[in-house]
Amino acid sequence: MRLLTTLFTVQNFAAVTSFIAAALVVAVVIFLIVTSQEDEDKASAKHKVYSLRGKYFFVLVILIIAGLFTSLRFLPYDTHKGTPDQLISVVAMQWAWKMAEGPMDKNPQEFEGTNEITVPSGKLIQFAVTSMDVNHNFAVYNSKGDIVTQTQAMPGYTNRLNFRFQEPGVYHVLCLEYCGLAHGFMVGKINVN
Amino acid sequence: MKELSSIEINGQRKLVKIWAITFLVLFPVLITLGLLMRLNQGEVLDIGIDNFYVFMTLHGLGMAGVMYSMAFAGLWYLLSKKYVRLNLKTGYFVYFAVLIGVVGVTISTLIGKFGAGWYLLYPLPFKGTFWPGWSTLLIIISLVILGVAWLIGNIHVVFALAREYGGLGNILGWQYFGKKEPERELPPVVLISAVSLIPGILAFIAGAIFLIMYLLQNFEPGLTFDNLLVKNLIFFFGHTLVNITLYCCLGWVYTIMPEYTHREWKVNKLLVWAWSGTFFFILFAYFHHLYMDFAQPKGMQYAGQLASYFSAIPATAVTMFGMIAQVYHAKLKWSIVPLAFLMGVAGWAIGGFAAIIDSTIALNKILHNTLWVPAHFHTYMLGGVVLFILGYLFYITHSKEELLKNNMAKFGFWSFLLAAHGFLAFFYSGGLYSIPRRYSDYKGIPMEETHNIGANIAAVSTIFISFVLIGLLIMYVSLFKKILAKNTQDGII
Repeated sequence: MRLLTTLFTVQNFAAVTSFIAAALVVAVVIFLIVTSQEDEDKASAKHKVYSLRGKYFFVLVILIIAGLFTSLRFLPYDTHKGTPDQLISVVAMQWAWKMAEGPMDKNPQEFEGTNEITVPSGKLIQFAVTSMDVNHNFAVYNSKGDIVTQTQAMPGYTNRLNFRFQEPGVYHVLCLEYCGLAHGFMVGKINVN
Repeated sequence: MKELSSIEINGQRKLVKIWAITFLVLFPVLITLGLLMRLNQGEVLDIGIDNFYVFMTLHGLGMAGVMYSMAFAGLWYLLSKKYVRLNLKTGYFVYFAVLIGVVGVTISTLIGKFGAGWYLLYPLPFKGTFWPGWSTLLIIISLVILGVAWLIGNIHVVFALAREYGGLGNILGWQYFGKKEPERELPPVVLISAVSLIPGILAFIAGAIFLIMYLLQNFEPGLTFDNLLVKNLIFFFGHTLVNITLYCCLGWVYTIMPEYTHREWKVNKLLVWAWSGTFFFILFAYFHHLYMDFAQPKGMQYAGQLASYFSAIPATAVTMFGMIAQVYHAKLKWSIVPLAFLMGVAGWAIGGFAAIIDSTIALNKILHNTLWVPAHFHTYMLGGVVLFILGYLFYITHSKEELLKNNMAKFGFWSFLLAAHGFLAFFYSGGLYSIPRRYSDYKGIPMEETHNIGANIAAVSTIFISFVLIGLLIMYVSLFKKILAKNTQDGII
C-alpha cells in the first residue's frame, strides 16, 4: 500500500497520462501524414473516420464520467476532511508568513506570528490562511521539494486548508501567487515532529 | 453578400498586411523577453529582479494582445472577402487604437517599470510596488483603450454578420435545430466567429468593469474592492480572451483546409451542437483558475471542472475528428499551410490534455501555479495559435505552387515546431518537479535540489527558444518578401 501511494503521486499520474496522450497525438499525426498519399473515395474515407468517431465519443463520455466520479471525491476543501486536531492561523504579507497556533483573534495587520512553526505528524492540522496586503499562495513543500498541499491567501477571506503530515521532517512554505519584488524569497518553515 | 470591388478588396488586403507586419515584428521581440527571463532563471544572465517582472508583464500582456489581434484581423479579412461587408474605417480604428494601447503598455513597462504581471491581480498594482504611480495609471488607461478597440471590433463583426445572416440566432446556427433545412447555408467561419466573438464581447465588458474599479482605486486610494469578485472578473476576461484567440483561428482552419483536401467542411446539426456547447463552456471554464480560493462557492468550483472536462467533447470529437476526416487518405500535397494547420490542431490536443489534468481540482491542488500551468497554455499558443497564424500568413501571401517549392520555409517551420515542443517538454517537467511559476530566479528556494532543477531546466530551455527564433526568422525571409511585394495574390481569390 505504501509503495502504491509513493508511486501514485499527482506528479506521476500527470506525467504518465500526459505522455501517453501526447504520444497518441504524435502517432495519429504521423499516421495521417504517412498514409495521406493513398487515394480513397471521399465518402468512404469520411465514413471510416466518422464510424471511428462514434466509438471514440462513447469511450470519451465514459472516461469523462469516470474521471469526474473519481476525482471529485478527492477535493482539498475542508468539508471533506473531518474535524481538525490543531488549528494554525496564517497571515501572509509582503514578503513573509505570520503563523501561530490557535484562532485569529486580531485583525490580520495586528496578528502576531512567526515564520517558523512546529506541528505534530499524523494529526489533522487546519491552516486558516489569509493575507494582510495582496494575494499570496500558501504552498507547503516537503524536504524532497514536492508540493504536498496549498491554498490561496487572499485579503478579506480566510481559506481553511486541512492537512495531515504523514512524515516527520522539515517542510517549507513557498508563495505561489505573484506578490511583488521578493515573491521568490517569501519562505516559511514548518517542523513536523 | 454583394461582391466587393477590387478597390475594396485591396483596402482590406492592405489592412491585414499591416496587422501581419505588426504581428511579425512584435512576436520575436516578445519571445526575446521570454528568452531573457529564462536566462535569468537559469542563472546564465542577471537581468535584475525588477526587470524580470517588467519583462514578464510585457511578455504576457504583449503575447495575449498580439495573438488575439492577429487572430481577429485574420478572421476579419477572411469574412470581409467572402461573407460579409465590414467597414474598413472601423478596421483601421481598431488597428490604431490597439497600436496606441500597445505603445502605452510598452512605455508603462519598459520606462515606467510597471511589473504586476499580465493579470494585474488586485490589489498588487497599488500595494508594495517597485514602480511609480504614473505607470500604473498609464497601463490602466492603455488597457482601457485596447479593450474598447477590441470591443468595438467584435461588436462590429457580430452585428454585421447578424444583419447579413438574419439575426444572432442564425449566426449561432440555431436554425439548424428546426425541422426544415435552413434556406441559406451557414459557413462554418461565420458560426465560429459568432461563438468566439460574442463571449469576447462579454469578456471585454468584464475587463472594462475591473479597469474602471482600478481607475477609481487609483484616484481614491482609500477605496477597497472585494478581492474575490475582482479576481473572478480578471480571470473571466483573461481566460476568455486567450480561449477565443484559438477559436478565431479555427474559423479560418475550417475555411482554408478544404481548399487543400478538396473535401467539404460544412455546418450541420452536429457541428452546431458542438459549437453551442463550446459557447457555453467558454463562459464557465475560467472557474478553474480559482480552485485554490477555498472561499469561492463550491458550486463554481464544480462548474469549472465540469465545463473544462466536457469542453473536450466538441473539441476532440467534432473539430479534431473533422480535421482527421479532412486529411485521411486525401492525397493532399503537404505545403506549409495544411501542415501548420494539422500540427496546430495536434498542439491544441496536447495542450488540451494537459489543461484537463490541471482543471481537475484533485490534481490542481498540487500543480496549481507551478510551471505546469505556463507549460499548457504555451502549448496552446506556441504549438497551436502561432502555427495557425503562420499557416494563415503563408496562405494569404503565397500561391499553392510557390509554397510547395519553398523548402527553406519548410525547414524553418520544422525547426520552429520541434524546438517549440522541446521547449514545452522542459516547461512541463518543471511543473512535475513542483517548480513555482513567476519566480525571477530560484535562488530563494531553500531546497537545494528544487533550486538546481529549476535553474537547469530554465537554462536548457533557452537553447530550444533560440531554435524557435531561428526557425521563425527563416520563415520570415519568405513571408516578408511576399508581404512587402506589391500585387500579392492569395488563395482566397
